[in-house]
Amino acid sequence: MHDITKIIDHIDRLKPIPKVAHRIMSIAEDPLSSMADLAAVIQYDQAITANILKVANSPYFGLRRKVDSIQQAITYLGMDQILDLVLIHVSGGNLKGGQKGYDLGIGELWRYSVSSAVLARRVAEIKKIRTSHLVFTAALLKDIGKVVLSNYVGEYLDEIASLVSSQNITFRQAEKAVIGIDHAELGRIVAKKWHFSERMEEMIGNHHLDDHWDDDDIEMCIIYLADTLCMMMGIGVGSDGLAYRFHRKVIQKLDLTEKDLQIIMASFVEKMQEVEDLVREA
Amino acid sequence: MNIVVGVSDMVVSKDPDSVLITYSLGSCIGIAIYDPIVRVGGLLHFMLPESSLDGDKAKRNPSMFADTGIPYLFKSTYDLGAQKKRMRVAVVGGSQILDQQGFFNIGKRNHMAVRKIFWKNQVMIDYEDIGGNGNRTIKLDVANGNIWMKSSGQEYRKI
Repeated sequence: MHDITKIIDHIDRLKPIPKVAHRIMSIAEDPLSSMADLAAVIQYDQAITANILKVANSPYFGLRRKVDSIQQAITYLGMDQILDLVLIHVSGGNLKGGQKGYDLGIGELWRYSVSSAVLARRVAEIKKIRTSHLVFTAALLKDIGKVVLSNYVGEYLDEIASLVSSQNITFRQAEKAVIGIDHAELGRIVAKKWHFSERMEEMIGNHHLDDHWDDDDIEMCIIYLADTLCMMMGIGVGSDGLAYRFHRKVIQKLDLTEKDLQIIMASFVEKMQEVEDLVREA
Repeated sequence: MNIVVGVSDMVVSKDPDSVLITYSLGSCIGIAIYDPIVRVGGLLHFMLPESSLDGDKAKRNPSMFADTGIPYLFKSTYDLGAQKKRMRVAVVGGSQILDQQGFFNIGKRNHMAVRKIFWKNQVMIDYEDIGGNGNRTIKLDVANGNIWMKSSGQEYRKI
């Protein structure tokens, strides 16, 4: 067991989340928010504006005309895309580095986070969920706990791996047993320290659905499914491998067939190059 | 020089300076083949078992599926002078999430698809590391046919 207080104190060493992020996230979590609400927040933020223009002109969107003002970007891309871009921009600071403890090279966790968010959004669209931005944000940030725990998990890796294989428990359960805290639980504490909403705390903290979970919670089911698909496609998979539980109930709840899931994977991979562009540019 | 083979991707080479590598195979499968006489190698990273899922996607990218990717891999090495009877074959990947028995067990289905295609075409597998819940990276050195593999959290080992 490690000194948990020390690990939690490590959260303060994360790059501070930009102040504007909270306002952006409130907009993302409210399905009734409007483009005007979003414009009001971003129009005076030069860094966000510059980033949106850069990404809007990247191959990911394939726009025929060059976009050179935020108004044009809004017109061409619409609120959903702009909000996603802003969320990606404010989240990147801590996720772009490498996580040596998890055997993740530079940019791997970031590629995984963006891929997971893009997939979650796709499933939310298929299921016609109104809170697709909430789902996108939670999928993007759900592994923030790994950024902190990466500094500790490396030294316990052999012990964790041996528990996973000998007791058929998940990597997350083994983290908890060996270190005293797991990455999802730590992510929940990060979310609390950063004053995210309670809903976001819950989504980050329980994204593996290892605790008692409410199977009527469609948003959680989508976050979980996006994570599962990324793992299967090997995106952002580190030393934890695929050692997490598969909950068939989630797929039943989302009323998706195996064919539906394969099509989601195939379509995502076809867009992979564009996602790579997004990962690089954002 | 490392040449990265992405998800649903395939590369063949006879350039002795090239090393073909595919990272992070989850439930996907990586197939490395090598003809030691002409020193031609190929590496496929396919994701799903059957192209009947979507014929258009399979046409655009045969490397996405086992039943289109495997013939595409072998034929592409034949174009460079390789022959099936001399081919050394390594198959790795096909991992599963815990409890993913039966339904949506793509790793297992991918493996069954490889077995079926190889059996039908009389291809022998020289090395196989399939299943479990780790992820794998595989690389093939075209100069000598050496194949290296890395599992989650471990170092590369020659196979």
